[in-house]
Amino acid sequence: MDLGDDVRDMSASQSSRVLLQADDVRHAYGERLVLAGVSLTVHVAERVALTGPSGSGKTTLLNLLGGVDRPTAGRIELEGRLLGGLDGNALASLRRTSIGTVFQFFHLLPTLTVAENVELPLQLLGVPAAERRERVASLLDRVGVTGRSGALPSELSGGEMQRVAIARALVHRPRLVLADEPTGNLDSRNGQRVLQLLRELSDETGTAMVLVTHSSEAAGICHREIHLRDGVIETEVQRTPWLP
Amino acid sequence: MTSPNTTAIQRLLWTRITWRHARNTPWATGLLILTLALGVAVYLAIRLANRAAVSSFQNFTDVVTAESDGILSAPAGSIPESVLSELRHAFPETPVHWIPVVESTATEPSDGTEGAIGGRVTYQILGLDWIAVQNLAAARRVDRAAVASAARASAPGGEGSWERFRDPAAVLAPASQESGPHRTPLRLVIQEQVVDLHVVGSIPEIPGQPRAPSNLLLMDLPALQALTGRKGKLDRIEFVVPEGPGRPSRVAALRRGLESLSGGRWIVGTPSDRRENAATMTQAFRMNLSLLSLLALLVGLMLVFQALDGAVVRRREEIAVLRSLGIEPARIQKAWLLEAAVLGLVGGSLGILLGWAGAQGAIRAVGQTINALYFSTAVRSAALDPLESLTALGMAVAASVAAGWWPARLAAATPPAQLMGSGRAQKGVSTPAWVLPTALGLLVVGGLLACLPALRLDGGPRISLAAYGTALCWLLGSGLLGGLLPPLLLGKLSVWSGLSAPWRLALSQLRRPTGRHRLAIAGLVCAVCMTAAMSILVGSFDTTLRGWIERTFVADLYVSSEGAQSASTQNRIRPETWKTLAADPAVGAVNVVQAMEVQLLGGSTVLLGSDLRFMHEQAGIAWRQMPRDAAIWDPDHNAGLALVSESFSERFQKRRGDPVDIPTPAGVRTVVIAGVFSDYGNERGSLVVQRERFAEWFQDELASSLIAKLRDPGAADAVRSRWKALHPGLAIYTQPHLRSEALRIFKQTFAITDSLEVIGIVVSVLGLGFTLSSLLLERRNDLTTLRALGFRHDEIALATAVESLLTALIGVVVGLMASLALGWLLIHRVNFQTFGWTLETDTPWRWMAGLGLAVLAMAAATGWSIGRWGAALPAEREE
Repeated sequence: MDLGDDVRDMSASQSSRVLLQADDVRHAYGERLVLAGVSLTVHVAERVALTGPSGSGKTTLLNLLGGVDRPTAGRIELEGRLLGGLDGNALASLRRTSIGTVFQFFHLLPTLTVAENVELPLQLLGVPAAERRERVASLLDRVGVTGRSGALPSELSGGEMQRVAIARALVHRPRLVLADEPTGNLDSRNGQRVLQLLRELSDETGTAMVLVTHSSEAAGICHREIHLRDGVIETEVQRTPWLP
Repeated sequence: MTSPNTTAIQRLLWTRITWRHARNTPWATGLLILTLALGVAVYLAIRLANRAAVSSFQNFTDVVTAESDGILSAPAGSIPESVLSELRHAFPETPVHWIPVVESTATEPSDGTEGAIGGRVTYQILGLDWIAVQNLAAARRVDRAAVASAARASAPGGEGSWERFRDPAAVLAPASQESGPHRTPLRLVIQEQVVDLHVVGSIPEIPGQPRAPSNLLLMDLPALQALTGRKGKLDRIEFVVPEGPGRPSRVAALRRGLESLSGGRWIVGTPSDRRENAATMTQAFRMNLSLLSLLALLVGLMLVFQALDGAVVRRREEIAVLRSLGIEPARIQKAWLLEAAVLGLVGGSLGILLGWAGAQGAIRAVGQTINALYFSTAVRSAALDPLESLTALGMAVAASVAAGWWPARLAAATPPAQLMGSGRAQKGVSTPAWVLPTALGLLVVGGLLACLPALRLDGGPRISLAAYGTALCWLLGSGLLGGLLPPLLLGKLSVWSGLSAPWRLALSQLRRPTGRHRLAIAGLVCAVCMTAAMSILVGSFDTTLRGWIERTFVADLYVSSEGAQSASTQNRIRPETWKTLAADPAVGAVNVVQAMEVQLLGGSTVLLGSDLRFMHEQAGIAWRQMPRDAAIWDPDHNAGLALVSESFSERFQKRRGDPVDIPTPAGVRTVVIAGVFSDYGNERGSLVVQRERFAEWFQDELASSLIAKLRDPGAADAVRSRWKALHPGLAIYTQPHLRSEALRIFKQTFAITDSLEVIGIVVSVLGLGFTLSSLLLERRNDLTTLRALGFRHDEIALATAVESLLTALIGVVVGLMASLALGWLLIHRVNFQTFGWTLETDTPWRWMAGLGLAVLAMAAATGWSIGRWGAALPAEREE
């Protein structure tokens, strides 16, 4: 279904629920144009999958949406704030309050324990220690790694590491989670568990999610799938109705 | 694989990979080369400066004695001129040339102010018998004849002016010093007289022979004897056996004959004995400086190690790709070793140039120290010695390859799959089990080595080889221990809930430190420990010396010849002069001191003739072993008694009550040691007898110094001015000036040490910087993660600064603690065994605290800068 009727019908009534808005975003690495004008909207609590072949610009777009990198041209707004107008510190503040990130290779900090990794975003926000401990314990319980809170990342399995990474991405209750191939480095059983967890937590907390993935299973948990090719949106498919 | 392919692959690795990396990172490569060059430069500069200072003396000796087959010199004092006729009668049939020689020193006169001691050029004047020299022209040795013939040729009037040499003020000077026969005379102080010498010709430069040093003057022998008040006395007699069949056996037979005729009146030596004397005298000094300069090279190498290690981290993925393409680990290792060797070669070459330039600066400090402690050297520049340069270059290459060995091994062991999969490299790992026992073992072995005595060299110098071994063991041991401490000290702190995120992150890195952390801590421990220990030594020296100066230098005026500018000066005060001064109504009490170098078994030392009662009553002697009997102070009862300095006691292993045989022209005199006193003015030691005995034994009244207590101490400046006007050739110092000069000379001795300390600290902090940058590069993924989590750049920088600060803090604390032990070792072992000086330990706590804070500040600033740089590194996870 190309830009289905459902999407068009809903867009007008849901404009007030827009979380993230990207307009004609372009990006180049030197001479090489990676994104050639991408526009997209992500609504509150909506899950969007970014799919496409390697080199199509998925991860670059994800980095731009998270403010880790700046577009060569175009504009990106998150919660009504224009990212291009923010300096490095303001972008960092935005990321620490509003964004959670999940990586393909987990990227837990190797010297911190599981609990410390999850606690880190709360420390950045200045959350009191007692509340931090409570929220970390609760979330670790929720993702099923309670017994490993004192372990170092190197002592965890891949599935455990990704569940900890998801906990870290959600512990500070961000409005948006950006996930880059969250199941790309997991076996299918662990991959399914992680996807289920992401979906459940997103539903429970009302957190929007943008997933970069090659996997149809991962795309399957999303309301919408945007397919990129050569730096432009090739197709956009509404998989399941999104109910705010 | 065939050999050509192997070479081709190696060439490919070098040209396409290694060289391009170096070219693409010119700043990093340049810094590395510069660091290596700096280490080599410090080492070479000190070696060249040392060599130049010593060879200046040796060159002098070569020029004036290299032609001889042997040298007769007195074991103490002079040889009477009458010995010449005795020799001629004893060997009437032996074809031999006897060359009598008198030596003296001279300096340019001062402007009358008190001035700095040792600041003026000391000339060496050689008195030769021109007739004896000319007789050599007929013999095989034409070189000496060239002296006379060249002098004649250059003298005004040519051949006809030979008689001009009979002018008592005529001298030959090197071409560079020659002021010309008709130009201004050379005004010099000889003994305490100001004389004008006329340069009547130049010392010839003979091809293949050493060039005459710029401070050498040649003079007619009787003229110099007259000028120095030593008529009828010779310093040595050289002999030359003419060419002909069986010459070696004739020389040997003559030597045997001379030895049997001696009866203890002279020693038969060779020019090489004399030449080696300079090297022997300064052996301990040069070894100490060489070891210190080697430390500079070592810290430089540590930096090379850290930098190459960092390069392995940066290029880890590239290495993984090469491995996956089928290039063998050994070949990759070889490529890294080649890179290290080339770095060593380039850095070493640059270091040679820098070292040569640095030697020109170091020569002043080294030359002045040698002047003050050993002998006169007039060297002004240091030549680039090929052997020293090649040695330094070889060391640079060898050490660079050694430093690159571990990184090369690391590179070769890079697992391609793991790295290409995750980009994750070295994690914090458990400390290897061998570290703790090795560290403790090193500390214990060091302690045992500290109990061993010094190595005694021929001629007297002692080298504290075992104590240096202790220092090395303790440095390595404490460095290893320092690396073990982060988890113990910071483990609990890192889980404290009150920590902010950057602090938590920083502490977590040190909770499980990597090998690089441990290495950085070890480097800092070593640098801080060495620097602080040196400061303890210097501080203790300073305190001891100040106390000694205050106790000892209590007279009002100190008088010597203006020519007394170095330890080996031969300028004295004539009896008529010192007697006039002693009789001055302003003088309350006076001590006339005579000095002479004497040869005892085990080396040369200084024999002093002094008024022992004056020493007892007017100077506060610091005793190591106090006399048990007051007889030593009574000139009527101290005939067989002597006092010795602590250096003498240690060097010759003589204690209170032991007898010492002193060779004199009147035969061997035996004295018993009545007491041992502290003396920090000379490391060869001194033996003091009543001056009247000295004068009687040597038939010599020339005084080396005169110490006067005035009736009115407040009149010191006025008396000084009056005496100076009457005797412009005398150096007269007031007590405050002499005290400050003594301290200045002492501080100058440590000038090189100070600069080495600064280099050591800067390089070790740079090393910490390299370590941090390597760690951040290795943690590049983590940095991206931190940014994604919302860390600001300044928070990442803060985390790195805290990590750097805590690493440095452990290094500083352990280093300072270890420095107390090393300071003790330097004071009570190295210093005592080398110089025989007991020092009062004085730890400069405030200076050490300042050092620690400075290192911490530098480490924090370095960490912050590198953290800012790391925070801005582009994200590695790029599509």
